[in-house]
Amino acid sequence: MIRRIAFKEMKENLYEGRFRVTIIIVSVLLIMATWLSLNYFKSVQQQHADAKANARNIWESQDEKNPHSAAHYGTYAFKPKYPLSLIDPGVDKFSGISIFLEAHKRNEAQYMAAADQTGLARFGDLTPDFIMLFIIPLLIILIGYNAFTREQELGTLKLLKGQGISSWKLALGKWVGIFLPVLILTTGLFVIAFILLVNVEDFGELNYGVLLLMFVVYVIYYAVFINITLMVSAVSKQSGISLVSLLVIWIVVCLAMPKASSNLADSIYPYPSRQAFAADIDKDKKAGLDGHNPWSQAAKDFERETLEKYGVDSLSQLPFNFDGYRMQKGEEHEAQVYFKHYAELKNTFRNQSKVYQAAAIASPFLPTRFLSMALARTDYRAHWDFSDAAESYRLSLVDTLNMNLAVNSTYGDWAYKADRSLWKNVPDFEYDPPSLGDIIGRNWSNILVLGLWFLVSFVGLKILTQRV
Amino acid sequence: MLEATKLTKKYGSFTALNALNLSVKQGDIFCLLGANGAGKSTTINLFLNFIEPTEGLATINSLDVTLHSKETKQLLSYIPENLMLYPNLTGLENLDFFCGLGGKNYSKEQLEELLKQSGLQVDFIHKRVSSYSKGMRQKVGIALASAREASVLLLDEPTSGLDPKASNEFSELLLDMKDKGVATLMATHDLFRAKATGTHIGIMKEGVLIHQVEANSISLPELEELYLETMKLSQTVSS
Repeated sequence: MIRRIAFKEMKENLYEGRFRVTIIIVSVLLIMATWLSLNYFKSVQQQHADAKANARNIWESQDEKNPHSAAHYGTYAFKPKYPLSLIDPGVDKFSGISIFLEAHKRNEAQYMAAADQTGLARFGDLTPDFIMLFIIPLLIILIGYNAFTREQELGTLKLLKGQGISSWKLALGKWVGIFLPVLILTTGLFVIAFILLVNVEDFGELNYGVLLLMFVVYVIYYAVFINITLMVSAVSKQSGISLVSLLVIWIVVCLAMPKASSNLADSIYPYPSRQAFAADIDKDKKAGLDGHNPWSQAAKDFERETLEKYGVDSLSQLPFNFDGYRMQKGEEHEAQVYFKHYAELKNTFRNQSKVYQAAAIASPFLPTRFLSMALARTDYRAHWDFSDAAESYRLSLVDTLNMNLAVNSTYGDWAYKADRSLWKNVPDFEYDPPSLGDIIGRNWSNILVLGLWFLVSFVGLKILTQRV
Repeated sequence: MLEATKLTKKYGSFTALNALNLSVKQGDIFCLLGANGAGKSTTINLFLNFIEPTEGLATINSLDVTLHSKETKQLLSYIPENLMLYPNLTGLENLDFFCGLGGKNYSKEQLEELLKQSGLQVDFIHKRVSSYSKGMRQKVGIALASAREASVLLLDEPTSGLDPKASNEFSELLLDMKDKGVATLMATHDLFRAKATGTHIGIMKEGVLIHQVEANSISLPELEELYLETMKLSQTVSS
């Protein structure tokens, strides 16, 4: 019976111009968005590969020089482009693609794609995630807003009920009738994305489990919207009222709540300004050891402690070059300062995330948005992860260079130059993105809230359709 | 077989149907006559279990419709005053859909035959219902009743608004159903149609079944006189 109702719903929809036109528009938009995304990512991927190879080449081509000079010369860590960023580019355009790694300083990621765009970029890009998060819910509303009201307006509801069909079975049939076209559309997009991804050269390793999970997340999101649409249609007296009510819900859920929660999170847990952040770091750095300043009180204290530790009277009696050693210790102090201040930033980020998670109770859009970005590895957490990995690599790189200076030269020997082989022996930056398990672990609350949305809305549908 | 025992429906202090006792046996066509608000449609809606009785009992084949809603609906077919079908689907597709809901599955040829038997013009079978007249839709309703092999037919002013030819065709279809042993309860304003097709006629006013006669025991003028007298009585009572 449910299958028969679903089939009838789809058949009726197919005969309707409104449905056909909408489906065609959404399909064309999806194909366009995927094609544009693919071209963009192919181009960026190529640029990344070229820039990465170029940066390494420049690093390895350095002449013989003081290793600490090489640490200042620096190199770059490039954020990998992940396959599923084709579907959801997340915050990639705003978080930067590379970090310059140098001695004494933890730099922010730079070269944000958004910075290269005009003010029109404020309108946003046509990407698959935009269609899936905003447009397909609208499509669901357009298909289903009159699911029950139309039966009442046509007068077919009495005839239907006269056949002995229960309200719940009728609702389930209508549910399936809306769900199937949406499922076909979503499956089509993921299949196309999959085919494109496996055919793009060097597009990174595609994790099928993540792709499948992303698909499931979107399907649940649509199921929630179908439940909401049918509930509103069941309690509305007229199709027009149902449509307006659903459009208001869409505006609140997909547009207003994300922006409101962002403003709320920022007002409760504000990030420090860039200037204040830099000034605080500078202040803390100055309060400790500066590897380049042997005359500071901190440097004098460190010198005395080192002499005592090694039981010698002068720095030249040390078994290593104290200059290199001091610079490394100065680096370690700076690293701790950066660690402390970035930990505070991350804490603010975590607190803001809690506000978003709380707001997700009022909007299924939010958990879906965060899960989609997390699975595509294009959310801020993934960016933090990359940034931390780059910082870890920077510290290891500077440590290698400083210790090379300390071990292979003597105190006051500023003429020491490391062999070119040192640059080649320094391993290139390699980064393993968070695993699926990590992503799920970090997003359990979003998964839970989305699951709850599905269950509660489904129960709500069962209760409200009893009135039909 | 349809049976109402002291069937009553009240909306607050207003009594829409008052202690109705009625029996429609297999092969009977019971026509309920009465002015608007007499309780005809309320009676039909109670048998359909669209509304619950305040008191009394409505049974179909001895099954209480409130307790066995699903089973009793499997036994009946209902044609409202203005049978509305899905306008985007064809007559055949509508028939197929509603038959399926009742658990009856037919081949395309069988459905075409049912529609032909109900008098629907052949070239309209595969046309969308949006192009159908009211009479054509009612014929699809009759086809549905035949297809579902309903033992009970509930009709709520089915010929209202039909032209005489269509109305006559509809009556012939009802007589066919009668010959098949279907128990029919029909609410109507059409005295002529009630006399021509009914086996029993009831005249209602203000929720009460005032008269109940066998159709062949009364002539059309007598029926008309009885009806008008009942209506006058109604006016007297009202004033």
